[in-house]
Amino acid sequence: MIRAAALAALLALASLCGGARAEQLVTTLSNPNIAITSSFSGETLSVFGNVEPDPGASRDQIAGPYNVVLVIIGPSVNRVARLKTNRFGLWMNTEQVEFDTFPTFFHVLANDRLEKIATHETLEAEHILPDAQTRVAARPNSLHVERFGAELVRLMTEKRLFGINELGVKFLSTTAYAAQLPLPADIPNGLFIAQTYLFKDGVLLAKRGDSFAVNKTGFERFISTSAQTYPLLYGLTCVALALVTGWLAGVIFKR
Amino acid sequence: MPFVQIYLPIAALSMNVFFLLGIGGAVGFLSGMFGVGGGFLLTPLLIFSGVPASVAVASVTGQVAAASTSGALSYWRRGGIDLHLALYLVLSSMIGVVIGVSTFATLRAAGQLDLVISIGYLFFLGSVGIIMMIEATRSLMRHRAGIVVREKLPNQHNWVHGLPLRIRFKRSKLYISVLPVLVIGVGIGFVGSLLGIGGGFILVPALVYILRVPGNVVIGTSLLQVVAMMAATTVLQAIQSQSVDILLAFCLMIGGTIGAQFGASAGKFLRGDQLRFLLAALVLAVAIRFGVSLVVAPSDPFSMAAIGPGGAL
Repeated sequence: MIRAAALAALLALASLCGGARAEQLVTTLSNPNIAITSSFSGETLSVFGNVEPDPGASRDQIAGPYNVVLVIIGPSVNRVARLKTNRFGLWMNTEQVEFDTFPTFFHVLANDRLEKIATHETLEAEHILPDAQTRVAARPNSLHVERFGAELVRLMTEKRLFGINELGVKFLSTTAYAAQLPLPADIPNGLFIAQTYLFKDGVLLAKRGDSFAVNKTGFERFISTSAQTYPLLYGLTCVALALVTGWLAGVIFKR
Repeated sequence: MPFVQIYLPIAALSMNVFFLLGIGGAVGFLSGMFGVGGGFLLTPLLIFSGVPASVAVASVTGQVAAASTSGALSYWRRGGIDLHLALYLVLSSMIGVVIGVSTFATLRAAGQLDLVISIGYLFFLGSVGIIMMIEATRSLMRHRAGIVVREKLPNQHNWVHGLPLRIRFKRSKLYISVLPVLVIGVGIGFVGSLLGIGGGFILVPALVYILRVPGNVVIGTSLLQVVAMMAATTVLQAIQSQSVDILLAFCLMIGGTIGAQFGASAGKFLRGDQLRFLLAALVLAVAIRFGVSLVVAPSDPFSMAAIGPGGAL
């Protein structure tokens, strides 16, 4: 019994990067498989969670007030930010900075101002802020990473693919919380990670990662997989469709 | 009303299905009225309404193929196609299409696709629009002055015809060098696949003024060439950039082919020079729109793009 508790404490110690505490997180997602159908126009993702005592710890040790930060990260692609300047009287792209494996979706939800929840150093170390993503993704030795990275985050935010909502998490009791995130209609497809951080007095107590998938289903999935797997057949089908449509229109409207 | 939104799987965004049918129909109406494919209007319209440029260019080719098919078939029944000439044009345009599609991919990776598309539209639409505008205005003024002008059949030879490798095109009643035919084919294939246009408005003047193809076969031959070229472009884009959205193309085809029928009926109420004047005004308006986007400072100097296949993001 004592050995088991010691082991649990040791595991907790290892997983929490120091600071042996008594808390752990229990979370659930409203929908682990978001299906994109032909009428998909966005969906709201709900995350519910509770602060629980670690095995071996007692419920009395669970005392708030807690802070929760939830980071939803989408699949990554290589992305480039470009700057237009006027050259010879024409506006053209003249400078670009590439960001490798940059997330296509990055939303931060919290129950309070992030600066009140944790220090900037902690947020930075955990890559909670969008700016940290650009620094991770930038190629070494690239110039202007700060400037282009900030602009990239701004562009992603304008497309609602990036965002910070400091009122996105609501505590239902001292330990139970709920968070809601509206997912836009043009959400990228793939595996998403919902990373939850539990803070108390600026100290990170626990972390938990959940995942959910956003995938096209049915006809939409069929079309996009055929376009990638059988591009020749797909192209020929498009042509056949065009020829038949054109021919049919000629027949139907024959004057 | 969620059912009016349709999710486009390759463009990866959802759009109003009536909006797509509507712009397809409106452009189809104009294309039926003026006898052009309408790609030069549809591609910019889609880009301005948020469809990624690569998906717009690649998907419009399917719509232009559909719009040109019904026209080509009706000319075929009337014997208005010079198959021999069309064969030479189609085969040479395939070379142009292959170069155009790979140039498209290179430019997209380098971030200069939008610039080249804008300059290309400005140059081709601008020059064709101005020439057409001058010709139509002159004809309109003569008409107003009461002078009856007979449509001149340009049958005299020029220096281009005297080049070596002469071939006889029976139906066009031409015995000319094959070199200008091939050059026109390659050029139209390159421009069409790069800009996402059928190129009928460039091809018809080229056939009439450079090759002296007679009026009774020029439109039909041009339409057949556009169908073949757009079909090849669609297949190549599907393989190379995987950015052909079949649902987007289909919505545009439906709207376009229906609109074209009404446009063709409406066109009968206008004289040839009036139609050419209106078309010239439309072509110039699109050219000016692209010209303005090149010289006016953009509202946001920064832009972003995903790199890699697909490119829908």
